[in-house]
Amino acid sequence: MPYDVTALRSRLEAIVGPDHVAAGTEANSPLAVDGVVPALSVRPGTQDEVSKVVAACSAAGAAMIPRGGGTAMGIGNRPSRADAVILLDRLDRVVEFDPANLCITVEAGVRLGALQEKIASDGEVLPIDPPDDEKVTMGGLVAANQSGPSRLLYGTARDFVLGMRVVLPDGERVHCGGRTIKNVSGYDMNKLFIKSFGTLGIVTEVTVKLLPAPVMRAGVVGLFPTLSQATAAVTRTLESFLLPEALDLLDPAAMDLLAPRLELGAPGGAHGVAVALAGSRSTVERQARDFETLFRAEGARVVPLPEARTVSAWSSIRNVFGLLPPAPSRVVCKISVPIDKGGAMLGAAGADGKALGLQTAVFAHAGSGVVWAAFVLGGRPSEETVTGLQRSLEALRQRAAAAGGSLVLCEAPPALKARMDAWGAPPPGLSVMKRIKSEYDPRALCSPGRYLGGM
Amino acid sequence: MARKELVEALRKIVGKTNVLDSLVDMQLYQYDAYLEERRPDAVVFVHSTEEVSGVVKVCNEHGAPFVPRGGGTNLSGGTIPARGGVVLEMIRMNKLLEVDKASLRARVQPGMFNLELGTALAPHGYQYMPDPASQKAATMGGNVAENSGGPHCFKYGVTTNHVMGMTVVLPDGEIAEIGGKAPDTPGYDLCGIFVGSEGTFGICTEVVVRIVRLSEGVKTMLAIYDSIERGSEAVSAIVAAGMVPATLEMMDQLVIQAVEQSIHCGLPLDCATVLIIEVDGLKDDLEEQCKAIADICTTHGAREVRVAKDDAERAMLWAGRRGAFGAVARLAPSYLVCDGTVPRTALPQVLRKVAEVGKKYDLKIPNVFHAGDGNLHPLILFDWRDKEQKIRVMKAGTEILELCVQLGGTISGEHGVGLEKMDAMKLCFSDADIRSQVALKRAVDPKDLANPGKMFPVTAEVACAV
Repeated sequence: MPYDVTALRSRLEAIVGPDHVAAGTEANSPLAVDGVVPALSVRPGTQDEVSKVVAACSAAGAAMIPRGGGTAMGIGNRPSRADAVILLDRLDRVVEFDPANLCITVEAGVRLGALQEKIASDGEVLPIDPPDDEKVTMGGLVAANQSGPSRLLYGTARDFVLGMRVVLPDGERVHCGGRTIKNVSGYDMNKLFIKSFGTLGIVTEVTVKLLPAPVMRAGVVGLFPTLSQATAAVTRTLESFLLPEALDLLDPAAMDLLAPRLELGAPGGAHGVAVALAGSRSTVERQARDFETLFRAEGARVVPLPEARTVSAWSSIRNVFGLLPPAPSRVVCKISVPIDKGGAMLGAAGADGKALGLQTAVFAHAGSGVVWAAFVLGGRPSEETVTGLQRSLEALRQRAAAAGGSLVLCEAPPALKARMDAWGAPPPGLSVMKRIKSEYDPRALCSPGRYLGGM
Repeated sequence: MARKELVEALRKIVGKTNVLDSLVDMQLYQYDAYLEERRPDAVVFVHSTEEVSGVVKVCNEHGAPFVPRGGGTNLSGGTIPARGGVVLEMIRMNKLLEVDKASLRARVQPGMFNLELGTALAPHGYQYMPDPASQKAATMGGNVAENSGGPHCFKYGVTTNHVMGMTVVLPDGEIAEIGGKAPDTPGYDLCGIFVGSEGTFGICTEVVVRIVRLSEGVKTMLAIYDSIERGSEAVSAIVAAGMVPATLEMMDQLVIQAVEQSIHCGLPLDCATVLIIEVDGLKDDLEEQCKAIADICTTHGAREVRVAKDDAERAMLWAGRRGAFGAVARLAPSYLVCDGTVPRTALPQVLRKVAEVGKKYDLKIPNVFHAGDGNLHPLILFDWRDKEQKIRVMKAGTEILELCVQLGGTISGEHGVGLEKMDAMKLCFSDADIRSQVALKRAVDPKDLANPGKMFPVTAEVACAV
């Protein structure tokens, strides 16, 4: 749909001030979405301004893409249009922190790291630990339902959101949920917007429940000569009474990257299993002992992570791909499968990378069924390399789908995205999803083309 | 005539004997645990996803509304066929289809009782966490439809946090498997929006739930108070101390007395309130936790704290709590359960105000509630034969919900909106908020056949139907 960029720009400038509207036309703009450069970028300063900006874009028929910390912008297909990128980083206020009720309400642009710092002063924590947590915004966390290793014990963003405010595609402001931990008043609208990746509107405010911070943290890493020993240790852990906060399985390449940071010595091609322990001193110490025994019984060399090093060690683990060369020269995918299939998927992804001669790292939230794989393509990958990787990814995707799971491309150069759908075959219920999309966004102006099934 | 044709068409799907249409049968299906009644046109016993799909397709052809029904324990009128039509009796779809320990999932049919699932999982060493007090008679399908809570939801979350996938029959009869054993299915979180949709998005015919290992240790304790306010202050103090007990339940004196009469679980009759507190997890620090909690309770005025000595004593305490609604039925012919929820720290204030509402309308209001969640259940006692009294009850109920919203809470923590709280939705949502919810209903059920006439503020038309 043609629209008048100049007219929209002056309309947006009237709403947010000229300083907060920019043309996005530089060729290598960091605001480009999968290579599509937006005509404009706009930085509203309040939720009300977001509403007005969205209404103006909607009136003009301009396609909008919201952006928080930018950490999840690689997820999804190339947008069919990107007229205005709406930057939410100025929405960085804490609306209300209610420590006595373990709950906080913040605007969408508040960084997860900043939120953690704020609530730590009252001994509380939001136990969601995606990579790049100092960059991730709360709006992005929710829109992408991000998670990290500790989803094992606590779940994902969807398990912590109590309420939110959303600007719908026509600019209308609505609120969902509330701030009590139990709430069945009407539909659970939070769930509609969580994981909708900006395709149904823009999240402008989020209320999450918090937990008391644990008294103590520690960790244990086991280095296993073979993958089957490592997965056996995972299985035995899940069968036990033990309650680790996280249980990550790391392939030898990931272990090589982490070894210096975790002070593991030479990992010697071992697979790693790392557990994070949190709680009272007595339960943490007991679990640390039990894990050392359990890992040794499966043939591991054991490296305990003492209390003082645990937090930084886990930061390294969840950010392990940060030790690889950055995008766009790499491909990152997330494979989700039933928990017992995670080990095999990790092995398969690593073997594929090796066969293609690519630097590869794979790790898994092994108690949750989530496997992350990164393949480094290098500066200018040959046609042959891209095709080979595409074939491998399609095969991995088929294997995941056969187990009832999925493979989603989370970072990939446009050349690969042009050949391969980021989401895979649409899941059952696509007809309902499409009706939902057209009910809320009938003119397809919100992140068009990025979601699955062409939505 | 139209009804006859509908019944005939239904019989072609499920067989003659699986469709009821006599007046007496319809009267048996015209109510649930709420206070309204409305007769369906037919009741169908279904046995498989395919049968449910067939029945729903017939309903589409005849423009007949349909309502699934599990145990019928719903407290907000969720299973009352507000606009007539077909009730699908799900109770025969009651099998545990699979326990997949390796992927920590179980697959169950919707007619299975919540407690039955727990009992079936225990020998494997696993449990399903949400545990509504009605778990003996409440089905998994009903739990899904209402996003049920229960005492253990304080620590472990509600139904939506434990349902990973389901097979649903959509309002046009299409069968879809949404979510599943694998996490993070791409696309909108259909599973997340179906849970708690009160049957208005279609019918769930299979549920994939998360199962967790039985805890290594559990300890249950009873704190006894002479002041209900001190008791509710203790609840906040326990949480403020950084403790996350598995449950934090409260019962007041009227409830305790009723429970003692029916169950005899050894609760003191002369106290103002008791707290039932449970801690679970690794056994190493349970003693320590119990002691810390007992100290907090004592500091906040508990006259006594008892720790259950063994499983039998634990079971006794829980029998009392779970039997509370039933026991209160001894006190009066009827009661209205309010389900308002407030931020935990507002508990003392809201309890005081609930007592004032009782005085104002001259009604007895015992209280039993999930204190840790701030989820109240004032039970307003009355006699359904007394029309004038029922009007007062409804006014008092609305006033309590208004209070909860004023204190930062909401109108329903776990019982659902159903028929009961359609108008109360306006207390906590703007017109735009409600429009955005109705838009979702329109997208999923454009013909408005799936449990219509529920959830949203009453229009004149809906009022007539009820």
